[in-house]
Amino acid sequence: MSRAADRFLNLVPLSEPAKEKLRLVGKRIAVTARHFRRSPTGMAGLGILAFFVVLAIFAGQVMTLFSWIAGSAGHPWASAYDPFEITGDGVMRPPSPEHWLGTDDNERDILSRVVYGSRVSLEIGLVAAAASMGLGTLVGLLAGFWGGWRDEVLMRITDVFLVLPWLALMIVLATVLPGGQSVSKVIFVISVTGWSYTARIVRAQVLSVKERGFVERARAIGSSDMHIVRSHIFPNVFPLVFANAIITVALSILSESTLSYIALGPPPTEVVTWGNILYSASQRNAMGNELYWWIIVPGLCIVFLVLAFTFIGYALDEIFNPKLRKR
Amino acid sequence: MRSIRAVLFRKVINAVITIFIVLALNFVLFHVMPGNPVRMMIPQKPNIDPGYIDMMMEKFGLDEPMHIQFLIYLKNVFSLEFGDSFRTKTPVIDLVLDDLTWTLILVGTSTFFMITIGMALGILAAWKRGSWFDTGSQAFSLFFYAMPTFWFSMILILVFAVQLHWFPPSGELPIGMTLTPFSIGTFVALLDHLFLPAISLTVGSIAAFSVVMRSSLVDVMTEDYITTARAKGMSEGRMLRNHALPNAMLPMVTLIALDLAFIVGGAFQTEYVFDYEGIGYATIIATEQDDYPYLQAAFLIIAVVVIFANLIADLALAYLDPRVKMK
Repeated sequence: MSRAADRFLNLVPLSEPAKEKLRLVGKRIAVTARHFRRSPTGMAGLGILAFFVVLAIFAGQVMTLFSWIAGSAGHPWASAYDPFEITGDGVMRPPSPEHWLGTDDNERDILSRVVYGSRVSLEIGLVAAAASMGLGTLVGLLAGFWGGWRDEVLMRITDVFLVLPWLALMIVLATVLPGGQSVSKVIFVISVTGWSYTARIVRAQVLSVKERGFVERARAIGSSDMHIVRSHIFPNVFPLVFANAIITVALSILSESTLSYIALGPPPTEVVTWGNILYSASQRNAMGNELYWWIIVPGLCIVFLVLAFTFIGYALDEIFNPKLRKR
Repeated sequence: MRSIRAVLFRKVINAVITIFIVLALNFVLFHVMPGNPVRMMIPQKPNIDPGYIDMMMEKFGLDEPMHIQFLIYLKNVFSLEFGDSFRTKTPVIDLVLDDLTWTLILVGTSTFFMITIGMALGILAAWKRGSWFDTGSQAFSLFFYAMPTFWFSMILILVFAVQLHWFPPSGELPIGMTLTPFSIGTFVALLDHLFLPAISLTVGSIAAFSVVMRSSLVDVMTEDYITTARAKGMSEGRMLRNHALPNAMLPMVTLIALDLAFIVGGAFQTEYVFDYEGIGYATIIATEQDDYPYLQAAFLIIAVVVIFANLIADLALAYLDPRVKMK
């Protein structure tokens, strides 16, 4: 770790062992980052992700910038369109200098909807993935650590969620659960259906870590179960969980767009997502009417955001799995 | 070494347990969750006949305590009594089985092609590791893997049905035609309608198979027995066929089982976009019309079919795995 970081650590009021721990964590991150920078796929993924993150955070500013560009090119916009603004420029118009991606069936600017759509896609993807990773890690840790009949029970339940067709389960949950459509319901539905794979791999990893010498030594000197899980097992399982989490984000984003596309996503009157842009395009037969800009751009956004997370996930997997690194 | 009989027994028991958990889950979702089970089995119409309500209450034991309801539910499930669809007013089980045929046609065809093409690509990529073909096929697979199936279906319709008029944009047979009486004409019409949906479902899942096949084969190629075979002067082709492939196939069989849940999810989307009236299409339509009896039966039957398919894959694996010896 760098000297600057050392100096920073000296300023923090922490006990020496805690500082040492932080130093180790920092070192690990630095090593990972060094490997990551050497992976072209990983860096490409990071680049695409950065683009969408900027788009999501600065959606309003991006639209202002676009309207400024349009203005300086001699085709000033009425405003930097809001995704829900009824522009009064006609329905389902083709791309024009005023509406670069045309308008939808409610006279709304499609470009603005695509730009703002990145927000909910990222938000749902990240939160749902975090929730399902949390649940999966917990189940996997407990099952692997406990063993015996409790492991058996947890694994049978995991198996059910693993083999059940995820979309069928999501559809049923989204329909049957009370309380209308909302972002939090979609997050709940995605995370409840998406935790099982994580639980499986965490359990497998725990089982292999459990047999190693340091766990036995810790037990021999009388460490508590809690301590062993926290200080010995979890740190060894975490890298695997992290690489898998990134892939889970990709799957969660796909799930959200699919739910939105079949009108089971967040309410389209309040929230704009790429999935529900495609839903309204489909409802208005955008394919038959050859309004291809309405279909292609939001779809490509989904593809590239999913691809970004997949690339990053693969790169991390290669770093954390030394067996893969050799190749 | 475990005997094959013990392995088979364990797999079958696990499948039975899984099915039982699914039954319980289905009961909780449709009978307990919304607080009002009556809403689930009886259409909410103001002018409904009170005699009909009484009959339904009786049939599903809706005013009995929960545990009695569960027993009645089990009895109904095992006698395939799922009530009438709100949409068509005909027994749900007939509809579901009819739709299932179409889904099996679509999923069966696509699964066959995704496995064969995925394996072929994976073997070639592993064979020519590091070549442009390897990189290219991996990039190609990942790109389509990141694509939402419903969006890919929309693009296929846009290009091959609307623009080029090569294939019909929707349906599973021309209007008015049925599978029986079966003739060459029906078969050709069937293939004509099946082509685009099958492409849509196949291409997205090739990646899963080619990536695993490649890494599994690359893994096997570093094993000692391959080096031994090489040292003996065995030809590359024969070595691949007799030593590498049989071992590299094992993770593939596991993958087929695991991936089935995703393939069915993809089939739901494909069917919906193509108006292909399989179980996925009908399920999504059922959510739009609150057709709970259909939803409940479709979910259960899809789950049971997938669990059976998994069991078959598991048994095949046990049979193929050289570490499990016949006794």
